[in-house]
Amino acid sequence: MTVLAIAGSRARRIVRDRLALFFIVVLPVLVIVIIGSIVGGTGTFRVGVVDRDRGPLSLSLEHDLAHARGIDLFRYHSVASGKTALRRSEISALVEIPAGADARLRSGRTVAIVAYGERANSDQQSAIATVSSVIAVSGARVQAASFAQQQVGGDFTTHLATAARLEAGSSSVAVATRSVDSKSNVLPRGFSYSAPTMLVLFVFINALAGGAAMIWTRQLGMYDRMLAAPVSPRQIVFGETFVYFLIALVQSLLIVGVGAVVFGVHWGDPVAAAALIVSWALVGTGAGMLAGTVFSTPEQSTSIAPTVGIVMGMLGGCMWPLEIVGSTMRTIGHVTPHAWAVDAWTALLSRNGRLVDIARDLAVLLAFAAALLVAATSRLRRALSA
Amino acid sequence: MPPVLVIAGKDLRQRFRDRSAIVLGFVAPLAIAALMSFAFRGADTFHVTIGVVDRDHGPIAAAFTGFLLGPDLRGIVTERPVTDVTTARRLVHDGTIAAAIVIPPGFSTAATRSGNTRLVELTSVNSRLGGEVSRSLAESFVSQVNADRLSVATALSGASGTTAGTVAQLTAAAEHLRVPESVVNRPIGSRPLKAVSYYSPAMAIFFLFFAIGFTARSFYSELRDGMIDRIAAAPVRPATVLFGKALSVVVYGIASLGTVLLCTALLFGAHWGNPLSVAALCLAMTTAVVALTAFVIAVARTDRQSDGFSALIVFGLSLLGGNFVTISAAPPLMRRLALLTPNGWALRGFVDLTTGARGAAVVLQPVVAILAFSAVFASLAVVFSRRLVIR
Repeated sequence: MTVLAIAGSRARRIVRDRLALFFIVVLPVLVIVIIGSIVGGTGTFRVGVVDRDRGPLSLSLEHDLAHARGIDLFRYHSVASGKTALRRSEISALVEIPAGADARLRSGRTVAIVAYGERANSDQQSAIATVSSVIAVSGARVQAASFAQQQVGGDFTTHLATAARLEAGSSSVAVATRSVDSKSNVLPRGFSYSAPTMLVLFVFINALAGGAAMIWTRQLGMYDRMLAAPVSPRQIVFGETFVYFLIALVQSLLIVGVGAVVFGVHWGDPVAAAALIVSWALVGTGAGMLAGTVFSTPEQSTSIAPTVGIVMGMLGGCMWPLEIVGSTMRTIGHVTPHAWAVDAWTALLSRNGRLVDIARDLAVLLAFAAALLVAATSRLRRALSA
Repeated sequence: MPPVLVIAGKDLRQRFRDRSAIVLGFVAPLAIAALMSFAFRGADTFHVTIGVVDRDHGPIAAAFTGFLLGPDLRGIVTERPVTDVTTARRLVHDGTIAAAIVIPPGFSTAATRSGNTRLVELTSVNSRLGGEVSRSLAESFVSQVNADRLSVATALSGASGTTAGTVAQLTAAAEHLRVPESVVNRPIGSRPLKAVSYYSPAMAIFFLFFAIGFTARSFYSELRDGMIDRIAAAPVRPATVLFGKALSVVVYGIASLGTVLLCTALLFGAHWGNPLSVAALCLAMTTAVVALTAFVIAVARTDRQSDGFSALIVFGLSLLGGNFVTISAAPPLMRRLALLTPNGWALRGFVDLTTGARGAAVVLQPVVAILAFSAVFASLAVVFSRRLVIR
């Protein structure tokens, strides 16, 4: 009962604290929205186009680029603005369709379409390779119309329409794609990426920053006053642990709820997801309580905690998938509990994993939680008993 | 020593005595920059290894291998011969190669006739971009064959009468055709935007924003302890106190941003261009931090409230301005929203400098925008500070 009273008193203070509520509720949701909308766009090349011709054939090429697989097309009014976007990496390649392209093609001449991109920049060269493929396919109709006009006479536009009609039904040399696997090693894109990673990041950072509350309680002499009552250090430790765990759990459930309802995130097997949420809340509890006993001033806690949280989040794959970094960084990343939590969420969201599939990740997380909780509670008990 | 410098010196000494100022201003951004540099070493560029299973051994299969080994693709593609489909599937699955192209038996013969045939691309869900590039290259290669076939079919469709001789004649004529639209690659002379070049100023600015909260809290702490009243009793004008505190923030900000940019240039190979332009951006950004600090002090009533306002400003501006994510990868609307923030403009300036943009406008526009933002918040601070004086 005393434990619950201590926990209830702390919980009421947090609920009344608008700043704490901002960090627990509002900030994670904002970050999920922003990172989710950005990560949703990866996996395709962003290509800019400046059409200086605006003839039917140029517009047809623009249409082909806009509907090509692997390309997101952005239109620019001038080459200068397109080049600026390319330099800033807002696009991976800029295509310039020259003025008079339509007339040249109709008269059987060739047109050089400029694709801007640095030769030493492989990302830009890859985008140009993708663009070249679309242009080659699009140019097939023009070649056919021009050839037919030369061979049998007639109108270019009529032959072009015929070529477009025949292209759909004619026999061809095709490229068929077969996937060798269906289970991804990375989280799905969009909000299904940002929601679980931000859950991992923010529950941890919030718990660490929450260490400041414990320092304030200590500085205000509230622990001393509690101990003056018939309350044992063990009861205070349990009360503090319980409230930290409760906050971490409530924040996790809020993110899961908002993710599912607002952003349509499917969190996978409910039993496994629940086990993962509880394990991560325990890790956060241990980390937050340890921060509360290690730091000596609230300022240290509120400044160092976000730094530690962000760095561990980066190492652990909350800011980018560990698949894209080298094997050394992946190994270093798994020194943090974050990487194991992200691995477990990946198994649930991308591979429809069950409890047994994330058993190893959960065991590691529980080991982290146990180590942190033992260290934190023993330090707190020692401080209270002193 | 002028009172302004005395007050600024006192504030700076106080700040540096608390290790958190050193952590936030120097250690944290440098640690994150180092992490970024290490994590993305070699990942700033894109390269794919494509396996080729040649079960055809004909001239077109050889031409495809030659196409992948050509000088245009040397920087992007490594071609790896693979003996059989099972091995190719395993290599794609374990990520050794990004994708594999299987050339079926009889492909060369079928491709030169009019029947259907196809190349088969093996991809993995874990290598989407590699799969897209591999597919594009394969499609690019077969497009000329398809264009020639389509040319013959279109001409035949327009011909009045079709005989075997006409088909043979048109097929022979089409063999020498080339798709009339060709792609010419032209560089623009820019440097690539490295992760370390984006995130080191982004993180330095993010952590500099914490100075808003610290300064505001120290002001309310001094107000509560009667320090401000004691200073007011001395022959020192309120403006002197204000300038002294502002100067301490400017010095701290410049030292923090300058150290991070210098260290990233020396240790991690970041390019920052003209030092004067960099200095102008840093100065403008610290001016914005001073204006925001004044605004928070003027609006808040207690140190706890100032913490709240500071947190909103720090995380609101950082999220919107692109300090946590590469804003160039964001949708256009988010890129526009970023320009409502001083940090968004500063990051645009740093991106332009590091990617090799030249001319005064590169930093002039961001500096003017940041100063305009600062002026708005400084004016609001003046309006709200009347309430503070009355209080």
